[in-house]
Amino acid sequence: MMDRKDIMEQGLLEKYLLEELSSEETKAIEIALANDKELRQHLQLLEEDFEKMAFENAIAPPAAIKSALIARMEPTKVRSLPSSSLWIAASFAALFLLSSLWMYTKWQTAQDKLDFIQNQSTVLQDRLEVLEENYKLTNSRLQIINHPNTIPFVLKGNNITPNSRAVAYVNHANRLVVVNPKGLQPLPDDQTYQMWSDVEGEMINMGLLPTDKDLVTLKYIDHAESLNITIEPAGGNDHPTVERLISAVTLL
Amino acid sequence: MSHHQEDAAVIHRIRNKEKDALYTLYDKYSGALFGIILRICRNQALAEDLLQETFIKIWENIEGYDSDKGRFYTWAYRIAKNTTLNALRKSDMLIQTEDLGVLKDKDTTATTDIDLNTLNGAIKKLEPHHQEALSLVYFRGYTHREANEEMGVPLGTFKSYIRQALQLLRESYKSDFLLIWWLFEIVV
Repeated sequence: MMDRKDIMEQGLLEKYLLEELSSEETKAIEIALANDKELRQHLQLLEEDFEKMAFENAIAPPAAIKSALIARMEPTKVRSLPSSSLWIAASFAALFLLSSLWMYTKWQTAQDKLDFIQNQSTVLQDRLEVLEENYKLTNSRLQIINHPNTIPFVLKGNNITPNSRAVAYVNHANRLVVVNPKGLQPLPDDQTYQMWSDVEGEMINMGLLPTDKDLVTLKYIDHAESLNITIEPAGGNDHPTVERLISAVTLL
Repeated sequence: MSHHQEDAAVIHRIRNKEKDALYTLYDKYSGALFGIILRICRNQALAEDLLQETFIKIWENIEGYDSDKGRFYTWAYRIAKNTTLNALRKSDMLIQTEDLGVLKDKDTTATTDIDLNTLNGAIKKLEPHHQEALSLVYFRGYTHREANEEMGVPLGTFKSYIRQALQLLRESYKSDFLLIWWLFEIVV
């Protein structure tokens, strides 16, 4: 343990007071102080003088420093502003929430609209495809009909169906036969019109003529001398029912 | 109630987080501490900030004060001195001076109208070398080693200056006390 004489002579109390000692020296001094009343009293006098000297040389700080300290120490006063800014923050949050909700609704509506438009687009695409198909068909038919080598033949109904009328377009060069059966009188469901080619006295099946079609493409039969339409049972017949021949036209 | 007991009561209130108690301590000690801070840093604006910082540290670290080990002022003085020296070290690091001493040549940069070189009270009655020795270690934040270099005397000589100065100071205060006590006796 450090002895009082050493401490006093080395000026260690002064250094202790000024916090100039190492932590080991400080501990040693504190132990000595705890065990030595006289040393303790000496330190007390030193502290007293030290404090007196400081008070004799005090410099009054500006009053603003205390106000600044109080302002720093009073979070309630300083943060009374934050409480209002808290409201502002809350308002912004609410506004943000509402605008987000509004945006979400808008987005959903836009999404629905987009879905609807996409569906529409698909429908329109489908319709366009159908129209294109129809156009191609119509166009090809028109080309067939308007082809310079195409010869139209009108087949008028006889007394069995006096108001019937069909038009056959025959193109020998392309070996095509197209018939417009629209003008034929409608038949019961169990009956159908069927067309035949007459080749050297023999009636050869060309196909059926459903009256709900605009144009029907039939088989072209070489060396056909005439075109003939009969009424046959639904689904057609292998041989024509000559009794029910409603129209015929000669090709030659 | 003695000066010591008064402080103990106020410090107890600070430990209970009563801010008014801190302001009471401020009213009592801010002048003494500001005198130290301003004499060390020699810059009015910086000293004002550091005084505030010192009291914030007192508030935050009051649990570290042990009245058995010393007076409140001694503890507060150490906080003020260290806070100021640390601030000066930081600013010195920023300006990158070659001079390693924190306090050297600070006289030339003083930014206050107050005469910081003249001391008052009992110390003023001491001889110049005693005044300077005490001033350097108590008011200017020098260590004994820095101060003896500053004064250009060996460390041993410097230590004896300090001891003599403190002895003379003690006698001066004691005689003041005796004078007051004597006057008091007469009046009574």
